[in-house]
Amino acid sequence: MINLLMPVPSLLTLMEQLAIRLSPQAGKSLVISRKRARGTWFRCASFRFSAGVSLLIWLCGCATPQTQALLTSHSAQLLPQVELGEIPFYPQEIHQCGPASLAMALNAGGAKVTPQDLTPQLYLPGRDGSLQVEMLAATRRNGLLAYELAPQLDDLLVEVAAGSPVVVLQNLALSWYPLWHYAVVVGYDLKRGEIILRSGLEQRQVLPLTTFEHTWERAGYWAMLALPPGQVPRTATEAGYVAAAVALEKFIPSEKAEAAYAAALERWPRNLTARIGTGNAAYAQGNVLRAEKSYQQATLDHPDSPIAFNNLAQTLADQQRYPEALAAANRAVSLGGTEQAAAQDTLEQIKIKSTGIWKETE
Amino acid sequence: MNSRFMRMTSRLLIVSVLSLGLPFQYAQAGMVSTDKVATSAQSQSERERIRTFLDREDVRKELQAQGIDTDAAKARVSALTDEEVQKVAGKLDKMPAGGDIIGILFTIFIVLLVTDILGFTKVFSFTRTAK
Repeated sequence: MINLLMPVPSLLTLMEQLAIRLSPQAGKSLVISRKRARGTWFRCASFRFSAGVSLLIWLCGCATPQTQALLTSHSAQLLPQVELGEIPFYPQEIHQCGPASLAMALNAGGAKVTPQDLTPQLYLPGRDGSLQVEMLAATRRNGLLAYELAPQLDDLLVEVAAGSPVVVLQNLALSWYPLWHYAVVVGYDLKRGEIILRSGLEQRQVLPLTTFEHTWERAGYWAMLALPPGQVPRTATEAGYVAAAVALEKFIPSEKAEAAYAAALERWPRNLTARIGTGNAAYAQGNVLRAEKSYQQATLDHPDSPIAFNNLAQTLADQQRYPEALAAANRAVSLGGTEQAAAQDTLEQIKIKSTGIWKETE
Repeated sequence: MNSRFMRMTSRLLIVSVLSLGLPFQYAQAGMVSTDKVATSAQSQSERERIRTFLDREDVRKELQAQGIDTDAAKARVSALTDEEVQKVAGKLDKMPAGGDIIGILFTIFIVLLVTDILGFTKVFSFTRTAK
């Protein structure tokens, strides 16, 4: 403990300089208050520190359960040491750790954007920062899949080992005095118990895993990935990934949307949303046959899905296979559900087309 | 008379609100879009849809209150999913917003310095954590 306290006087000067650089006003008041307080402050320093330290230990809570669990037993797929050295670095400008961190992750995922491009999509002037939900939204706006990880250190490191930089939110200060900060995890070393980040102005910040866990825990263990469509996070859950793909769909061309859904089907072949998603994406590209194949499979896997039958009916009608189309449309209507009105509409349209009434009305 | 007028107006509003909030993704008639598959699985009721729409309006206003201009706020809200909108609606000023270190008070500075050295926090780049 004594060793730790030794550099305090020199650190005070350093702190002043730093404070003045960061915020001139706060810095000045800091100098004044230090001059006033100098005498008593140093006399009681050692007492104050020991009292303060024990108070702080009590206030902070010292447990880092995830790090302890990780260092004793971790996933077999977790390599002992990883560093993604090629991930680009953007030093953050003032208040811009969100855009800077996200730009690093987006670049790694193949989107050519700078922090300056992201600022208007992310930064909130009134809050001097960026919100988590907008980090996800801005990822989608730039054509990448945004995936929020489970609050597990193990999962975070598995994704890094799989080659993906992970954007994390940290509360660098204390729960009752938060200092929110985004950084990018690019590596770790289990033997040394360290994690490697691109953070603020530091291209390679090495932190003990325990310190990282403290800062990460205070931010609700929040972490996200930005992946090119077609790539599924190694730790993804079925529902989480498919929801992320649906949210991305409107921001990307339909070929890419098809790739994102097809990737889901590779891992979860029976997922209805992803199956219909591939069909809709193929249909949007004008490929009726490929769309039909997807919907056919969807009706086999999920014979109770009105949407699968409705969309199948439409593709069959497009091919003028009216008897089959009518059967599918009737089935869609009879199954009911939230989209029954749409199914009814499809059925009417097919009836009109198949009986040739449309020719007379022309 | 009055209540009938009100009822008509509210019906009209509901329809227009729904058509605004849930644009059709496919121009082709007859196709049900992929997001509907997900929402129908959750059997989202009309009431919830309207609530989501109103929440979206709230978030847009909150974004504008935080210094975003109208058009940008619209674009930013439309990029959020329904779940994300629900998460932040009404508490945008209290949600964590990652920024950086600025204007830390003197006392808190000392506190954070010590917690930094102890490895509970990581505010300052010049501290070396004791292991």
